This record gives sequence, structure tokens and C-alpha cells, in this order.
Amino acid sequence: MSRTRALSPHARIVLAILLEAGGRWSHGYELARLADVKSGTLYPLLIRLEAQGYLEAEWQQPVDGGRPPRHAYRLTATGVQLAQANPPGDAAILNSRRREATI
Amino acid sequence: MSAGLRRGLADLTCRALQAILPPSLQSWGWAIRCETANIPDDTKALLFAIQGLCGLMPRAIASHLLQPFASLFGEGTPLPGGSTTMSIVQATMCRPRTIGIACAIAAVALGIVYLAIAGAPMRYLGVNAGALVIGLTMLALLGGSPAADQRWMGAAIVAAAGTLLATAFLGADVDGAARWVRLGGLAVQPSLILVPVMLVAFSRCHDVLATAGIVAAAAAMALQPDRAMAGMLALCLAARAITDRDRHAIAALAAGVASFAATLARADTLPATPYVDQILYSSFQVHGGAGLAVWGGLALLLLPAVIGWRRDAENRATYVAFGMVWLAAMLAAGLGNYPTPIVGYGGSAIIGYALSLLALPKLASAGASAVSRTPDATDSTQRDRTLRVGLA
Repeated sequence: MSRTRALSPHARIVLAILLEAGGRWSHGYELARLADVKSGTLYPLLIRLEAQGYLEAEWQQPVDGGRPPRHAYRLTATGVQLAQANPPGDAAILNSRRREATI
Repeated sequence: MSAGLRRGLADLTCRALQAILPPSLQSWGWAIRCETANIPDDTKALLFAIQGLCGLMPRAIASHLLQPFASLFGEGTPLPGGSTTMSIVQATMCRPRTIGIACAIAAVALGIVYLAIAGAPMRYLGVNAGALVIGLTMLALLGGSPAADQRWMGAAIVAAAGTLLATAFLGADVDGAARWVRLGGLAVQPSLILVPVMLVAFSRCHDVLATAGIVAAAAAMALQPDRAMAGMLALCLAARAITDRDRHAIAALAAGVASFAATLARADTLPATPYVDQILYSSFQVHGGAGLAVWGGLALLLLPAVIGWRRDAENRATYVAFGMVWLAAMLAAGLGNYPTPIVGYGGSAIIGYALSLLALPKLASAGASAVSRTPDATDSTQRDRTLRVGLA
């Protein structure tokens, strides 16, 4: 039986943001900004979530010509369950909302 | 610093990241590069790229460090995640053969600790260490060969059985037991080398040839005679027959039980050999540390079976066979004058343990499904071409 180790506060907040996005695809820079995590923290987390089947990723072609494609992410059904079972702390939510409001 | 220079450095950083990432993570290198290119602010783009490089570098380094052992560990699997240490631990847990290699090394080391504390001749310590090197070398050489392929398993089992029969008829005779072959001044016990791998392989092989090989091996154990190895055959084949009641398993079990009964009917008068037999009890009399080394080393031998059984439901029969083989060897060492595997003096069991790892899957089935989600090289190349067009 496989076990998932305890999620870090960063993982919880990223999961919460992805959960809040619902079925909408999110991008790396947007996630890093909203969760206030460095890309060096975010991408290993995304890699792990994707490898464990909690996250799906797809390449999206740019709407505007001349721009590179983007890697986009959203939670799978099991990822939604994981996010719901591991909500971030209250302080983390408040901080996240405050940052979002000032962007 | 000019905006153009910052943008150029950001792109250079992304390229450096892509250069160090293993193939399995290349798509993530592209993801960071494309995302960086989409950030309008040059400074933020540069920071994003640098942080991404710093964050993924430990994972890339860990992957490259493990690369030389790919033939032993199983190729192409991305490290699952977390810190570098956790990545290595998690990746190892998905690789039963790797766990077995680690356990073999640790158990031999503990055995050497016991021998040193017990005052065994230095030559004994060297023989055990040398046997480990030989066993792991054979594992590395045979691990990727066709002999490890299921199609050749039956033939390999028959060939091994032939060696055991030849030992019974032509091997060195000690007090009526013909279990050994003299090689370079050392008495090698072929049954301890071959029977474990034969039994673990038989758990994955359901054909007439393999069954005939096991029946012949049972006959060889009765002829030598070797009560410990016949007991190992009977116990392991009984477990196989319980989990998989096909005619091959039943026939092999019948031969195994008959062989064990034959060895029980003949008196085994061989005395205990120092540092080899009866050390389960005597080691604690030597020193508490020596006792702990012996018992700890023996516990490690069963670890691959326990972890594999818990984590790889598809191959449980193989882990049961592996566990039964080495449990039987330990029981024999505890009940009679038979070699204490791996931790006692003797290279045959060490080589046998390493070879029995051949029959364990390189990659647990859960890990294999994770690998299947990883894009293969062709997909990556195709996608990379598209991305390069987008970035141009």
C-alpha cells in the first residue's frame, strides 16, 4: 500500500489555488505568484503531484502569434480529493488572498 | 543590466537547466523555459529562471548520480519527488532489486562485523567480501541478458539442475555428503548458489521445462543429500502450490516433499563448522554486538520480500518465494548444522543471494505504471521540435 507523506504548507497552498481554479487551467508563473512560492519550490512540487496522478498537465498553444506555448495544470479528481483533505492553514489563506488582492 | 541582457541570461539559465535535466524531466525544463519567455518583466523572468534552476538542480544531480547504476536499478524511471534524499528513498522503494542489493551489502557488512568480533581469520572476512563483489558483478552482467528473460528461464533452471546432479555424483564427499565442488582451494556449495534463484525464478515460470528442472533439483538434493536445501525446496514449493495450484506447482511440490523426506530418512552426521554453523545462538555468547550483527543481517535478507509484497501486488508470488527461500535457509541454520546464510563465513550463500535477486522485478508494478505516463524519447523529440518552433 502506497503512502503519501505529509504535505508541506507550500504544497497545501498550491493545491488550494488549483482547487479554487476548478476546471480552469493554471500556469506556472501565475501559481508561483498566487502561492508566493519560488519557481524552484513550485516545479518540483508540480512534478511530484503529476507523477502521483494528482495533477494533469497539457501544452497550450498561444493565442497570440509569436508567443511560445505554455504548460498548464489542473487537478485531477484524486487531486481535488487531496486538496480538499489538506486545506492550508488560516494564515496561509489570508496571506494568499491579501497578495491576490494587491496584484 | 540592460533588459536585453537580463532576457538573454534568463534564456541561458533555462537552457542550462534543460542541459542538466534527465530525459524523463525534459518536458519540465521546456515548461520553465516557455513560462519564463511568457513573463513580460525581464527581471522577474530572470529570477523565475534562476529559481527554477536552483530548485531542480538537486533532482537532476541525483538522477545523474544514479545513472551509472541504471542497469542494476531499472532504467528510465523519474525520481518521484520531494527532497533529493526523499527522491532517492522513494525511487529505491519502487525497485525491489535495488532494495535487495542494498540489503545484501548491509548484511554482508554485518556478517563481517560478526566475524571480526568473533575473531575469525582475516581470510574469512576477505572471502565474504569477495563473494559479494562476485555476486553483484554476476547480477549486473546477467541482469540485462536474455537468460533473465522468461523465455529462457525454463532452460536456465534445467541447466542449474544439471549442475546440482553433477555435484551429487562428482562433487567432493565429506562424511557421505557430496555437496561441494573444489574451486581454487575453496569448497563451493553449488546448491546454495543455484537453488535460491531457481526457486524464485520458478515462481514466475509456468512451463514443463522449468518444472522438470525443479524435479531434477529435488532429486539432486536427495542424492547429495542436503536436508537444508531439500527443506528449502519443500517450503518454497508448498508456498507456490498454495498461491498457484496449477499442475506444475503440484508436481514440483510432490518432488520437493519426497526429496525432503529422503534426506530426513538419512542421518546427517556432519559436525558444526566454526563461524559457519550454529552461530545464531553462539554469536550472543561471543559479544552482544556480534549477536545483533548476525540477527540484524538475517532480518535484512527478508526485507526485499516484505517491501515487495507490500508495494507490488502483481508480483507477490515472486516475493513469497524469495522470502520463503531465505527463511528456510535461516530455519535450517537454527535447527541443524547448516550454513548461516550471508552473515556466517561462506561465499556460496552470498553469491546465491545476489543471484536470487535476478528473479525479482527491477521495477515494482506501481512504479512501472508511473513510468508509462512518462513520455518516451520519441514523444519528447516530437514535442521539443514543436516547442522550438514556438520559442523561435
